Order: sequence, then C-alpha cells, then structure tokens
Amino acid sequence: MDKTEFYQRLAAILDIEEVKPENVLKDYDQWDSLAILSVLALADSQYGVTIRADEIRQVVTAADLATLIEAKRK
Amino acid sequence: MKCIFRNKRIRAILSVVPGQESRFDDERSNYNLTEEKARRMKKMMGLDRHRVAPPGVCSSDLCVYGLQQLLNEGTLKKEEIGALLFVSQTPDYYLPPTSNVIQGRLGLGHDVVCLDLNQGCAGFVIGLMQAFMLLDMMDADKVVLLNGDTASKLVDKHNRITYPLIGDAGSVTVIERCAEENPVHLCLKMDGSRHRALIVPGGAFRTPSSPETLKLVEVEEGVVQSLEQIHMDGAAVFNFTLEDVPPQIEEVLSYSGNSRESIDFFLFHQPNQFILKQMADKMKIPQEKLPNNIVGIYGNSSSVSIPVNITHNCGKQLRNGALRVCLSGFGVGLTWGSMVMNLGPLATCRTVNYEAA
Repeated sequence: MDKTEFYQRLAAILDIEEVKPENVLKDYDQWDSLAILSVLALADSQYGVTIRADEIRQVVTAADLATLIEAKRK
Repeated sequence: MKCIFRNKRIRAILSVVPGQESRFDDERSNYNLTEEKARRMKKMMGLDRHRVAPPGVCSSDLCVYGLQQLLNEGTLKKEEIGALLFVSQTPDYYLPPTSNVIQGRLGLGHDVVCLDLNQGCAGFVIGLMQAFMLLDMMDADKVVLLNGDTASKLVDKHNRITYPLIGDAGSVTVIERCAEENPVHLCLKMDGSRHRALIVPGGAFRTPSSPETLKLVEVEEGVVQSLEQIHMDGAAVFNFTLEDVPPQIEEVLSYSGNSRESIDFFLFHQPNQFILKQMADKMKIPQEKLPNNIVGIYGNSSSVSIPVNITHNCGKQLRNGALRVCLSGFGVGLTWGSMVMNLGPLATCRTVNYEAA
C-alpha cells in the first residue's frame, strides 16, 4: 500500500497537517473513540481489511498502524 | 434463514414520538466534553436533537396512544384484530407480557393472540416476519405489530457515548391479507456467540439487581455506566455492521430479483449517520436512496427506527402511492434481517407527537 497516502489519510482523521511514522497516536488529543471508528472505516473502505478493537488498542505509533493494515492485506 | 411471504401487505404505519425535543447543544454540559470534541462528535454522528420520554411514560404508552388514534379515526376496527405483537426491550413488567396489558387497556376481545418479542434493532423485520406467519395460520384479517422502546431509561444522561444517540418511540403497523401475490422476500441471520457486543449485563436473573449492579462505574474517562444500563462494544458493533450486513443486502436483492437501481429506498435501522454513510458507500448505493437523518431528528429508537424512518422520510409518498423498498435491521443479538417488498399506498403513514392525557 502507498504509505505516504496512508499517513495523509490518518492526518485527515486527526485533523492535523502531517503524521510521521514515529508519532505516538495517544499523544494526540484527537485520538479518541471517534478517531478509532474513523480508522476502522478507513481500513474497511480503502484497504478492505477489518481491524478488531483489541488489535487497535495495541497500536502505539502511526507506523504500527500501517504495519497492522499491511499485514492483514496479505 | 430465507423465505418468501405471499398475499400479505402492510396497510398502515403510525409512529409516535414524545412531544418534547432535547437538543445536543443543550445537553453538552452533561457530557464532560470540550467544545471541539462536541463539534466533531455532532458532525460525524449526525447529532442535533432527539426525543426522550418523560418519567413514567413507557414504550407501551406510546404504542397505545398510536393504536387508539388508528381506532378512533377508523383506519382499524377492534374486531378486525387477530393478534397483537409487542416488540420491545423495555416492557412494563417482567410478567405479565406487555401485549396482554395493552389488550386489556384497549378492551380487545379474548380471541386476540398477544405475544411479546424481545428484539432490538432487527425487531421491525422480525415483528413483520411473525405477523406474516400468523396471518398464514389464523383466520383473522389483520395483525397489529407494535414496536416500542424507551432506551433513555437504559442509559445514563451523563454518558456521552450512548445518551446523545438514543431516542424513545413507539409505532403501530397494521398487516393484512391481500388478493394480490405481493411477494415479500426475507433474509435473516443470528449470531448469539456475539451476544455481549450489545448487552444490559445486570438486573435480570443472571446477575440480579443489587446495590452492586446499580453502582455507576467509570468505563472510560468521563463516561460512567451501571450494570443495569446498555453496554456497547462500539468497535465490534461497527465491524459487524460493515462486514455482515452488506452481503445480506446483496443476498436479499438477488433473492428477490432486484438490483440497486430497482429499489426506490433502502430504509435501514438508524444507529448513527457515520455508519449509514459508510454502508451506502460500501454497497455503492446513492446516499439519497439510503436516508441517514433519523438519529439527528428523533434519535435511534432501536426496533422503532425503521418505522420512524418510513413515516418521516416516505410518509407522503406512501400515502399516495407505492414504493419498492429494502428494509434492514441489525444489532442486538447479534441479529440482522433484511426484507424487500412493495409498500403502499398505505391508509396512513405519518409521525405523531405523544401528548400525555
């Protein structure tokens, strides 16, 4: 998957300019249940994968999230 | 399960909502939310206002109010009623069945069959299924389906996850036999292994009511709930809706020989605007054919959300003509059921405000 595009989409969900792979999601005030639902929706609509609640809870950085989605696409 | 019902149709639908509106902006101070978060939530979930029944008003009161109107105006006569179905998760009592209580309140004859069904989000589709099956077997002309829920009594008004979304409502649907074949196609699935995704864990017999079940516990920052209130695993329900419902819509369309284009409206249960938009996109259904406005006007009223959706969005069209519709209810159980049918012209199809006598 196109990582640059993924980070752009994640930035849009968090309503910020840019997300870097090493950024910790919990550091953002906007990383709440609404953002998590938006990520589940993004995973489903753009990448055709389903992320479970327990999986998303284990994610720390933006890169972890990208890795999780990528692994599920295989 | 899938099946076809024939020679039956819906004759009338009346939705009843509490008269008083409650606005999200006015409730915001209950929720421990920053202005920014409230704005995001409002936009994403499509929140604006909802209807909450005043204390002492039960689901059955909303239904009786509607049924009384249909009887008074002559849309329905007492002697035509063969069965009274009451679908709810908020009955008057553990026992007796609320449908019996309603029969007594209205003075209906002793030959009327009264049945309570404990169903939620799919409760309109399941209620119709039960009504069609009864009409197959009994000699009476009409079955009355009552859907009623007052979820406001199962959530805490400080809970920002559940309270802003819910709405209280009742509906009366009259189902009858007809000479035309009028096939109704139903696809229905259930998965009890996921029953904890939407649950009121305490207060019944598995975990009886006690000071412990009534205690408000903080489940996440600023969100409290007791074991006697609705617990929702939001992510699990979200995934279920996107994974399991679209294939069923495909199935019921092909089973009934329809395409997306031949359906006039997809009238679905109304959990929130976000999930409904996602579903429409995923199924490539134009947004205008799949209304998502009910949660922001009346709130999500569980099994009553489909009738409210029908009367609010299609009332005029269905009083004057017919539409080919796809109905779908999904949630508690987990249960998901979808139906394709020709609906209308209906003797009545409207939303009325409940005013206490």
